[in-house]
Amino acid sequence: MREGIGNISRRGVSGKQNHRRTKSHIAPEGSSITPSSSFSSSVLFQQSQWANLPPELLIDIIQRVEASETSWPARRDVVSCASVCRTWREITKEVVKTPEQCGWLTFPISLKQPGPRDAPIQCFIKRERATSTYRLYLGLTPALAEDMSKLLLAARKIRRATSTEFLISLVGDDFSRASNSYIGKLRSNFLGTKFVIYDSQPPHDSVIQTNCRSHRRIHSKQVSPRVPAGNFNVATISYELNVLRTRGPRRMQCTMHSIPISAIQEGGAAPTPSEFSNGLEEHGSPSLSVSSSVSNGKKALMELSSTNDSQELVQCKDPLVLKNKAPRWHEQLQCWCLNFKGRVTVASVKNFQLVAAAEPSQNISAAEQEKVILQFGKIGKDIFTMDYRYPLSAFQAFAICLSSFDTKPACE
Amino acid sequence: MSSSDSERMLKLKSSDGVTFDIKDAIVVTKLEFIKNIIEDCCGDNDLILVPNVNSEILAMVLEWCKKHVGDDIISDGEDDEENEYFSRKKEIKKWDAEFVKNLDQGVLYHLLMAADYLNAKQLLDLLTQRVADMIKGKKSEQIRQIFNIKNDFTPEEEEAIKKRNPWAFE
Repeated sequence: MREGIGNISRRGVSGKQNHRRTKSHIAPEGSSITPSSSFSSSVLFQQSQWANLPPELLIDIIQRVEASETSWPARRDVVSCASVCRTWREITKEVVKTPEQCGWLTFPISLKQPGPRDAPIQCFIKRERATSTYRLYLGLTPALAEDMSKLLLAARKIRRATSTEFLISLVGDDFSRASNSYIGKLRSNFLGTKFVIYDSQPPHDSVIQTNCRSHRRIHSKQVSPRVPAGNFNVATISYELNVLRTRGPRRMQCTMHSIPISAIQEGGAAPTPSEFSNGLEEHGSPSLSVSSSVSNGKKALMELSSTNDSQELVQCKDPLVLKNKAPRWHEQLQCWCLNFKGRVTVASVKNFQLVAAAEPSQNISAAEQEKVILQFGKIGKDIFTMDYRYPLSAFQAFAICLSSFDTKPACE
Repeated sequence: MSSSDSERMLKLKSSDGVTFDIKDAIVVTKLEFIKNIIEDCCGDNDLILVPNVNSEILAMVLEWCKKHVGDDIISDGEDDEENEYFSRKKEIKKWDAEFVKNLDQGVLYHLLMAADYLNAKQLLDLLTQRVADMIKGKKSEQIRQIFNIKNDFTPEEEEAIKKRNPWAFE
């Protein structure tokens, strides 16, 4: 990481060309004034020298913070760095890797990025019956971290005339669709056999994102910060009775419209948004959009079409389909068994493991087909564990798990 | 003229015109920038200009250098020597901690820039780690106060960050 130093000293020798640095050294002790003529930025007031550190130094500093604070709550320090000022925000976003790359969740956008490939991110869900609220936390179980567990997402169940909806938000108490913390929802049909996951933004990589947003013609200067969220159908979930009716576990199938089957083929990648967008960029300048997507040659073709005002469909030509792993009948115990590797301890019809459903022609390796992409199950009264991994994101995983809470007796 | 580098005397001159006499060039081996100049020159008692660093900061840098002379000498394996080596390492580490502990953010900044300019990797590591330690456990507003950084987000951006990133304000 130090390869920049040699260059710096050479630049320093001919330091006359680099006004910014030379001037700041000659400035009197403790001064926080830097000549504004040295900068072409639009900063209207004089900014601290610390905001304008040479990028390689700021990167070094923030990397040190990031590397030492990998788990929550300490990881909040990284988030704090991103909220200090513009330059620090840019550098921090450059330094932080996606969950797929490093296994850590850092910013809320991490919740819409695929999990790691090698091992799942382990979370738990707490159900609060009184308020029909479901909260997703990072961590193995509530017992281990007591009240310090990091809240990732929350959902509120709302029963309507012909359907049930779970509104999903970044905060535990605000589920209004107009709020910036609203990030999507799950809606079920009347019978509770089919569900649709809606994302408040199209789950594209940042490059494609700007094209999508142009359809909506929204500029941050023209509208108030609160813009109604979009409604992008990103997945459908269906439950079917087992052929043996009530005697066996139900069958689940998730069609992930926004994740192409190529994501789990060799060299494949899943969409990885790098910024929240919703008519308002987090940051005014487009130059901030650092693409953190894992990119390679394979990007599936995405179609964006409008079915009606409130629904926009994001369809892959060949979407990833997940199905639940069939439990085995245990003759001695006289029950259906799945190996949850200790993460699920209470038998429940809600428990499931999802793997990729693959046709032979789709060229998915046996190892990939074996991987449990999402696992959900009960460990106590109103407490469930959720383990998810690539190519699902925390948001998608949570929404799929919520559907398990709503299936009706007709399905059980 | 001495043939050995380590016996060479030299002078450093800071940006504000103060001259520092260095009796033994070995003191400045950790300053790659100076070391390279020395290796390229052949005169004794040379005067090296350091136009990017003022006298107060240069004095501190040299103080650090003096403390760290020979700190990477590995012992031959003799027990006595090893004990001495480790206890010296420990003592230097403690000294470093004191060195950075109460630095005013302005001084820290100038030291950081000087270490960068002079290409003193070890000193730079010490200082960047110090800054990282000052950041840890702080919220963004506290960080701004410590380093005297102005919040340059527009009100809309600030609102969006707060709403889209509640994790920053827990």
